[in-house]
Amino acid sequence: MKVLIHDLGEGFDEILSEKCDRMISANGKYAPCQGCFGCWTKTPAECFMKDKLKESCRVIGTADELVIITENCYGSSSPAVKNVLDRSIGVSTPFSTYRGGQMHHTLRYGQHGILTIIAYGSITEEESMTMKQLAQRNAINMGYKEVKFIHCESAEKARDML
Amino acid sequence: MKTLMINASPKKKMSVSAYFLSVLKFFTFGGVTKENLRNKGDHARLLGALDGADNVVFCLPMYVDGVPSHVLAFMKEAEAYCREKGLKVNVYVISNGGFIEGNQNRVLMQIFENFCNRSGLNWCGGIGIGGGVMLNVMRVMFFVYIGLFVLNMIMGNPVKDDLIELAKGLGVVLFFNLGVFGLSAAMGAAIRKGRSFGV
Repeated sequence: MKVLIHDLGEGFDEILSEKCDRMISANGKYAPCQGCFGCWTKTPAECFMKDKLKESCRVIGTADELVIITENCYGSSSPAVKNVLDRSIGVSTPFSTYRGGQMHHTLRYGQHGILTIIAYGSITEEESMTMKQLAQRNAINMGYKEVKFIHCESAEKARDML
Repeated sequence: MKTLMINASPKKKMSVSAYFLSVLKFFTFGGVTKENLRNKGDHARLLGALDGADNVVFCLPMYVDGVPSHVLAFMKEAEAYCREKGLKVNVYVISNGGFIEGNQNRVLMQIFENFCNRSGLNWCGGIGIGGGVMLNVMRVMFFVYIGLFVLNMIMGNPVKDDLIELAKGLGVVLFFNLGVFGLSAAMGAAIRKGRSFGV
């Protein structure tokens, strides 16, 4: 299953939904993670907040291929996309293991195929380096075998990459 | 030197970031204002506080290898505000993750450095703390050990045995917090002198 997370705006939703199996539109309207760890303990893989991100862990967790389209924000994803990722830590469990020589959480849904991060907007050399490192760390953390990082000048070009 | 300390943990209670800031405040010796950053409602107040500050310390948890979304949203507003006002504040960061390796916070530090470069602020480095949750439990254990000691005294157990048990317990708590105390003292000294701390 191919899952897409994007912050291109609701105007792109219809076109993009045809290019993936499931899509999460990061529109910035969702409340941020409260750090309660309820999605690990009380209601596994489910957020206590009753909005569209309530079951985002299950959607992202069952993806073979995850594509993230995000505006660059200091070498990180945009606040809206990061909010979706923060609210989806239920893709792992509270238990720990070693992957890539470092401590990480065990994966609730097992290993996945490929993680593609498409960043758009202005980016400095340092931010590009940061984003590549972040993409690699995210891939290890979320259990992706492969990771790809692409930068595009504009949102339209990022959309066309799909 | 006016120092603004921002606790960016979304938790209202039992936040380990609040604990780290309390330790750092002790070693900074005055001139400190503490504020919380939990949602958009805090932005205007924090930007106002940033205006008159010489130093700002962000203390935050690491979420998904990076900066939590509510902090990124504030950073975007702060960038525009700092550039407009031409602020030259020294920025320090304390971040903590649940994993035992403190160097897993390195990417988060780079994001803050990039933010400083865009905003015209002075990046002065930070501390990446591993095992944040464990240190929070240790903080609770400090009071549990003292409580048990008092309880045993009331129940008439031999004082010598109780004291040995208390010393062992507090020794373990102190041992695991030595890094926090040592690095906070070093960061406190850097803040007082307005110098870079490194990562």
